[in-house]
Amino acid sequence: MEITREIFWNVGHWVRWPVYGFGLIVIIIFIFGLVKRIRLWRIGKPENRLDNIPRRIGALLSFGLFHRRILKEPYPGITHLCLFWGFLILLLGTILIFIQEDLTKLIFGKVFIQGNFYLFFSLVLDLFGLLAIIGVILLAFRRYVLKPDRLDNKPEDLIGLILIFLVLLTGFFNEGLRIAITRPDFEKYSFVGWEISKLFASPERSMASLGGLHATFWWIHLLLAFGFIGYVAYSRLLHLITSPLNQFFISFAPSGEVKPIPDIENQETFGVSKLQDFTWKQLLDADACTRCGRCQDNCPAHLSEKPLSPKKVIQDLKNYLTSQGKNLGKGEDAEEQTPPISGNVISEDELWACTTCGACQQACPVFVEVIDKVVDLRRYLVLMESKFSPEVKLFFKNMETNYNPWTIGFATRADWAKDLDLNILSEKSDVDYLLFVGCAGSFDERNKKVTRSLVGLLQKAGVSFGILGAEEMCCGETVRRIGNEYLAQILMQQNIELFTKYGIKKIITFCPHCFNTFKNEYHQFDGNYQVFHHTEFLWNLFKEGKLRWKTGVEMTAVYHDSCYLGRHNNIYDAPRRLLASIQNTRLVEMEQTREKSFCCGAGGGRMWMEETLGTRINHMRIDQAASCDASVVATACPYCLTMLEDGIKEKEMENLLTVFDLAELLEKAS
Amino acid sequence: MDIIVCMKQVPDTESRIKVNPEGTGIVTEGIKYVMNPYDEYAVEEALKIKEKFGGTVTIVCLGPDRATEAIRTALAMGTDEAVHLNDPAFEGSDSFTSAKILAGAMKDMKYDLILTGKQAVDFDCSQVFGCLAELLDLPYVSVVVGLEISSDGKTTTARRETEGGMEEVIETPLPAVIAAQKGLNEPRYASLPGIMKAKKKEIKKIDSAALGLNADEVGEKGSKLKTKNFRLPPERQAGKKIEGEPAETAAELAKLLREEAKLI
Repeated sequence: MEITREIFWNVGHWVRWPVYGFGLIVIIIFIFGLVKRIRLWRIGKPENRLDNIPRRIGALLSFGLFHRRILKEPYPGITHLCLFWGFLILLLGTILIFIQEDLTKLIFGKVFIQGNFYLFFSLVLDLFGLLAIIGVILLAFRRYVLKPDRLDNKPEDLIGLILIFLVLLTGFFNEGLRIAITRPDFEKYSFVGWEISKLFASPERSMASLGGLHATFWWIHLLLAFGFIGYVAYSRLLHLITSPLNQFFISFAPSGEVKPIPDIENQETFGVSKLQDFTWKQLLDADACTRCGRCQDNCPAHLSEKPLSPKKVIQDLKNYLTSQGKNLGKGEDAEEQTPPISGNVISEDELWACTTCGACQQACPVFVEVIDKVVDLRRYLVLMESKFSPEVKLFFKNMETNYNPWTIGFATRADWAKDLDLNILSEKSDVDYLLFVGCAGSFDERNKKVTRSLVGLLQKAGVSFGILGAEEMCCGETVRRIGNEYLAQILMQQNIELFTKYGIKKIITFCPHCFNTFKNEYHQFDGNYQVFHHTEFLWNLFKEGKLRWKTGVEMTAVYHDSCYLGRHNNIYDAPRRLLASIQNTRLVEMEQTREKSFCCGAGGGRMWMEETLGTRINHMRIDQAASCDASVVATACPYCLTMLEDGIKEKEMENLLTVFDLAELLEKAS
Repeated sequence: MDIIVCMKQVPDTESRIKVNPEGTGIVTEGIKYVMNPYDEYAVEEALKIKEKFGGTVTIVCLGPDRATEAIRTALAMGTDEAVHLNDPAFEGSDSFTSAKILAGAMKDMKYDLILTGKQAVDFDCSQVFGCLAELLDLPYVSVVVGLEISSDGKTTTARRETEGGMEEVIETPLPAVIAAQKGLNEPRYASLPGIMKAKKKEIKKIDSAALGLNADEVGEKGSKLKTKNFRLPPERQAGKKIEGEPAETAAELAKLLREEAKLI
């Protein structure tokens, strides 16, 4: 017997034509739905995401095809991988059959799915079909039995899962019935169908009745499969298209970079008030979201019972996009009347709750960007409507008048250094490095100690550096994230003018916020510098033998990752290596560490806002630190230092935990 | 309702004040100037009244060139017009002379209400608007923490703080001069479109000649007060903590107050 199988066996070759007819209709329905969504994305502003195509293809392969992000969580990761690959291989199999039936066989009379290849083909398709069924069952089990908090169940989820399950099941039953009737021995390679065939292999059953059953299943399978294709563009199954698209259109900019409002002096509106103010990619993000909820599971605002969930923000935008889609093309008037998104679609409390820590983006398997949207929506509130809390107003006023968030005169900025005999650049500018002290290091009593420790270490290592003194201004980072782009640009440009005046090329900072903004944002205004965070810089000095610890420190220390150092700038190792280099110091880790680190609660301008909703984020982090048997929490960020120290005081845990900046610990050790 | 808001530019309250070597004034270099904080309440109140009654809000500012920055801030908040009384001859005017200049400028202006801050935080004299009200023959209510305009726009009811945590409620016909105290409202932060618009607005500049005042009627020459010299207050000493039994500490305190502080 020839090792192959007859396509359209039992149902008759005439079905080819109705199948084409149905197929065409279904594809038209699919394309129609997809085009509707594409048109919605296209109401957004232009943004170039077509640079660096090879890297984009790489991202698609690694994150799409091989699930690099999705697999970070084993259960949903592996089950989705089974379903994904099962479906992909079945699709490829179907395409091969289509090529054979409608090209090679029809035109050249050539059948290539035969012989050993047929056996291999059968084995692989059955294997992956089985994986897909296991995947879909386990995913349904998780969704409807385990019910993790982060999943919200909608009818479309159930319909999708049932459709997939039934398509797979009827496919296998088709195969089983065919084998039961035709009984070729080689079909044991179609091992799932082979086993199913045994269910039907009873002598009492007539071949005719089995044939009828096969034809029935065949049609059900076909209709379900077509139904599935048709349903894709109108349901969450659209993520089959949008999620890989979003992975392809991934941003290569550093996650800590906030995009500027270009040519701000000549704009009429600022920030995002309506959907059209987003870029097309920001709108695609809304459609790429699969509601998996990993973002909210990692969001410090959500976990501390604030009204913010990144998933909800993106889903609210998606629903708004869908509802606004109906107004499209109804002229400018309908558009003008839409209320601003900030405060209507997304509440102000949600927007102000974000710490811009980036944990949501780090967790998102399909690279939905959240921080840019929060900042854009805040920009509207701040620049257009002046809507923010009184604390934020005071913060802005302080920044405008004295270039720092504390209500302290700018002229006293370098008072901490009065007795230190440091190079002030206005007096002596031929130094190798600028030590950008930052606002906290200049004005906050606690952080001034860190500055002094750092200066001590730099002097000990013989580094040639200077400070800007009273001329230094806030780097603009926090102002920018609160949404006051105008003020931020003024501060950034004034700093750049100063840097240029003194010919500064290399900057050391001990604040990750200054670090991030110099490194990732100043280039937007032609300020290009080599920027070092003090942890990196001190580690290099240690490696070069320019710093040595004489005494060591007897302690068990836990390092708290700053979001803007770790997640946004990938500096995880230098601070840990430094800590480990101190004699007699034992380094332990919190459960949430490195890229999973939990924010201190101060990022995104939260440092300067009251935290009135939910649990205090710093208290949660203190609890995490306290549960790991350390007596010292080491930080590398002035905001983290302040937040954690405040948390310890508020929780009256001073006897258990003390917070130090790394520079302080190193100074102690040396 | 047309409102005039008198606004002054002053050194930021966090400025480090230094007296010049001659003792004739402060060192202005390195000082950041801002809108007098009490005047912000006046601007905000004027804008709120305008939102309710319509009309225009005009800023009148007496000060040198640098004061344009503060005027732009007030315009950015949403005020309509600005008059800048700017003439080197005005320098050194005392409270009365300042009031004279302001009154001169208001002679030809149409207004239903004059709002201002209760004092400027530079010299803290708190006298200009008493003088101005007198010169214009208008009622004057100061240290106002609450303001109601009657629906016909003819009278106003002002709540003012007095000593001992008491409040007075004063009803006056309009026009009147009202001086704002902290707590009257929460001044707005200018929107960016407001800032951009303010940059393009015209500021009407008026000098002493335009007011018909001679150079010797204004500035130091025209002032009744002469400043002899400036000096900084003595630096504050660190506090002393007296510890021990109550009877001992009381005796020690009395001794220190008599011998060191020379207060008793």
